[in-house]
Amino acid sequence: MLWHLFSGPIQIDGETFFSAITNFDSQQLSHNVVWELRIPRMITALIAGAGLSIAGLLMQTLFNNPLAGPYVLGINSGASLFVAFAIMAGIPMLSSDLGIIANALIGAFLFGLIIVFFSSVVRQQISLLLIGLMLGSFTSAIVSVLQSASGLQELKLFTLWALGSLQAVTLEQLPILFASFGVTVLGAFLVVKPLNLLVLGTSEAALLGVRIKRVRLLIILVTAVITGVVTAFCGPIAFVGLAVPNLIRIVMKTQNHSYLILGSLLTGAIFLLICDITIQYLESLFALPINALTSLIGAPFVILLVLRRLR
Amino acid sequence: MITTKGLHIGYKQQKLIKVEDLQLSAGVYILIGKNGSGKSTFLKTLTGTIPAVSGKIELNGTSIHALSESERPKHIAFVSTQFPVVDFLKVSEYLALGRSPHTAFFGKLQPRDKEMVQNALRTLDIEHLSERFTNELSDGERQMVVIARTFAQGTDIIALDEPTAFLDYQNKSEIVEKLMELGQSHGKFIILSSHDLDQSIASGADFLIVDRKEKTLSHAPAGTSKQNIIERAFS
Repeated sequence: MLWHLFSGPIQIDGETFFSAITNFDSQQLSHNVVWELRIPRMITALIAGAGLSIAGLLMQTLFNNPLAGPYVLGINSGASLFVAFAIMAGIPMLSSDLGIIANALIGAFLFGLIIVFFSSVVRQQISLLLIGLMLGSFTSAIVSVLQSASGLQELKLFTLWALGSLQAVTLEQLPILFASFGVTVLGAFLVVKPLNLLVLGTSEAALLGVRIKRVRLLIILVTAVITGVVTAFCGPIAFVGLAVPNLIRIVMKTQNHSYLILGSLLTGAIFLLICDITIQYLESLFALPINALTSLIGAPFVILLVLRRLR
Repeated sequence: MITTKGLHIGYKQQKLIKVEDLQLSAGVYILIGKNGSGKSTFLKTLTGTIPAVSGKIELNGTSIHALSESERPKHIAFVSTQFPVVDFLKVSEYLALGRSPHTAFFGKLQPRDKEMVQNALRTLDIEHLSERFTNELSDGERQMVVIARTFAQGTDIIALDEPTAFLDYQNKSEIVEKLMELGQSHGKFIILSSHDLDQSIASGADFLIVDRKEKTLSHAPAGTSKQNIIERAFS
């Protein structure tokens, strides 16, 4: 965490940093950098990584599918689509911070419900993943159409948002991030017992007393909240939610979700933090979007995972 | 005592089978009938997974379908044909999941729950499997583990949908013998469906026979002749 705080194009030593926290002076550039850039960026990385990982874990268990995750199942796409609508509509209220967040939440939840609907229709695990991917392609097509039909101003705004990064979050927006993260962690721990039973599949879980419909709705709501908010602030971030919980299961060798939630939370936070440090070091050479880096690391890992299961 | 009165079973209000009024005392019952005759439907109705079309089933005087979703798994366990294959789930943890109808909100195990898990391992003679992962078990071991889970669950009724379907001869006999032994010593209702007529007759269990032509389900005590069973179930 410290390493992350001290990374960036502007050199800040420990002493300056300390005085920025204890004795803030708005005239000093370095103090402003600490409060306006460094701290929010670090917290965003931690929360986004932890939140997306928990969301991925919940979806993997709910759909009994180790390759599920908010990105693969198109929950991000839902958020992106609604944000696109909001921005392209050109109504100032919709493209304000709160407007974007609200739209991302609605989009994420709606697409969550669509996936739940399909999960009750299709029998094979792989079908659900394909549907998720198709939802993703479909929405990106619609977004393209929207883009070509919209004005220059809106286009610029949307392109900036869609590039996504961890540095766009300001100190004032952090409470929203904290709140959604709180909802996620709380929600996840509330369903620990059902999660442990859902590992056996929905029908077995139901036979052991799990109220499937209620639990499913809660899980979708929780994942939509965190995915929606993170997507609204940082743009789409792929593979974190997919890769981290799998890694944790392999390392911890357990299906006890109290441990898996904690493990995913910590590992996800650290993983995204390290990704962001890498990005900051590369920044002088070229600007790498966070989504590209997580995909670079995550995609090969997922292929390894698939190969491991096939053996 | 399991009793049924005027029971008709089927899917979505479609009457499939008329069940003769049954009065079953604790023990092992083997459900025999052709494929698609309604064996699974009967097991699902008996375990409250699907509603009865009409009539009622009672366990010790209480209607099974009146039990709430959270209350039912304390009295009835149902094991479907396929065992869920799960990575990184130990046998002891799987058995502990069987205690979940009895545990509180966060599923924390109390001394009583741990004792039930240990007893179940001992009853089924699988204490040596306790720390193994469930996905590394042989088919026969897996079936023993599933039955142990229902014992940990501590239910009066244990319904098993073709528990011996994927087993070789040796394992089949072991499972059936074990079930007979448990049914006699533990005062539970163990009801399983099977395709293996000879083995079922040899086991000395009672029969529940689904007659597909007459669309009825009836009780045949142990010792009913093979000829009689074949006529009722497979003609």
